[in-house]
Amino acid sequence: MKRNPLVLFFIAAIVAAMLFAGIRMSRNARANGPAKGQLVGELAPDFELPSLDGKNLKLSDLRGKAVLLNFWATYCGPCKVEMPWFVELQKEYGPQGFQIVGVANDDASTEEIAKFAKDMGINYPILIGKDAVSDAYKVSVLPTSFFVDRDGKLIYREFGLQSRSVFVDHIKKAMATATATKQGQAVPGS
Amino acid sequence: MKIVLATALLLLATTALAQEDLGPGQAQGPAVKFASAAVATVVQGKPTTVPLSFRVASGYHINSNVPKSEFLIPTALKVEANTDIVIGKITYPEGQDMSFPFDPDEKLNVYTGDFKVDVLVRPMHTAQTGKYIIRGTLKYQACDNAACYPPKQLPISFDVKIVKAPPAARKNPAQSPNAHQ
Repeated sequence: MKRNPLVLFFIAAIVAAMLFAGIRMSRNARANGPAKGQLVGELAPDFELPSLDGKNLKLSDLRGKAVLLNFWATYCGPCKVEMPWFVELQKEYGPQGFQIVGVANDDASTEEIAKFAKDMGINYPILIGKDAVSDAYKVSVLPTSFFVDRDGKLIYREFGLQSRSVFVDHIKKAMATATATKQGQAVPGS
Repeated sequence: MKIVLATALLLLATTALAQEDLGPGQAQGPAVKFASAAVATVVQGKPTTVPLSFRVASGYHINSNVPKSEFLIPTALKVEANTDIVIGKITYPEGQDMSFPFDPDEKLNVYTGDFKVDVLVRPMHTAQTGKYIIRGTLKYQACDNAACYPPKQLPISFDVKIVKAPPAARKNPAQSPNAHQ
C-alpha cells in the first residue's frame, strides 16, 4: 500500500501539536502546582502555626472573614515591596471582615523575623511557617498569596509580586461572599 | 526519506519550543550551574589557586558574598576538609550594584551571568601524589524580577592532581682556595 507523503506529514504535524501541548501543560502543572486546578475552588487547607507573639493561629478560626494568606521571607525583595500595601489594606478593609495573615517561609530566627516585621510596621499576624504548610499550599516561590473567602474557600492564588490593584480586586471578591459567621472575632497574634 | 526527515525536524522543533522558558517565577531548572573546573595540578606543599566557574541563568540574580542587607542570604562556598590538602582562603568576586523592577529605588549587590570563586588549596608536604576529588557546596538564594526562590545548596566538585615538588637545586659546595693544593 502506497502512503501519501502529505498524509504522513499531516499526521506528524498533529503528533507534534499534541507533544507541544503535553509538554507545556506538564511544565505549567509543575511550575504552578496544582493550585489553579485543584486548590482553587476548594477549602483552604487548614493549619495551626505559632505567631510572633507566641500564640497559635488556626486558619479555620478565621472562617467568616476574607483572608489573604501571604507566604513570604525576610530575604525576599518582592515580598518587601508588597508589605506596605498589606499594612494599608489591613487598615482599610480590616473593619469590613478582612484579615491578612503572613506566613514566614524562612530559615531566619524568630527574633530576626520579628525585627523585620517591626521594621516594616506590620499590623497583621505573622506566623512562623513549616514545610508541611507550604507543601500543602504548593508554595515554591515567594511571595505567593492566597485569597480565602468567608466560607474558607480558596478563590485566587498569585505567585510573585503583583500590583496593588490585583490585591484590591481579589480582596473585594473574597469579602463579597455572603457568609459571615465569625465576623468581628478577635484574631490571635494581631 | 525527505518526509521522514521533515517529520523528525518538526518533532524536534516542537519539543524545543515547548521547553522554552515560561517566564518569571515559572522556571524549574537550577538558577545556578557549576562549570566543572579543569584538573588543577598542584605541587606538594605549594599553595595554588583553583578558579571555580559558575553561571547564573538568564533572568535570575543571586546575592553576592557581601549583600547589602543583614536579611539577604550571601552566596557562600563551603569546601569539605581533606586530610591531605589544606583548603585555604575562598575569594569571591565583587558583586554588581543593581536595582530590579520590583524595587527600582533599592540597589542590591548581586551576581548575574558568569562569576568565579577562587579556592586556595595547599597539599601537605607529605601528601601522596595523584588525583584527589575535592567536594563542596555553593549556597545561594536566587530571585528573578518578580519572585524569589528558597535557598539552594549546589553540590560542586573539582579535581586536584598532586605532583612531587621538583628536587631542590643543589648548590655547589664552597670551594676552598686550598682545595687543590
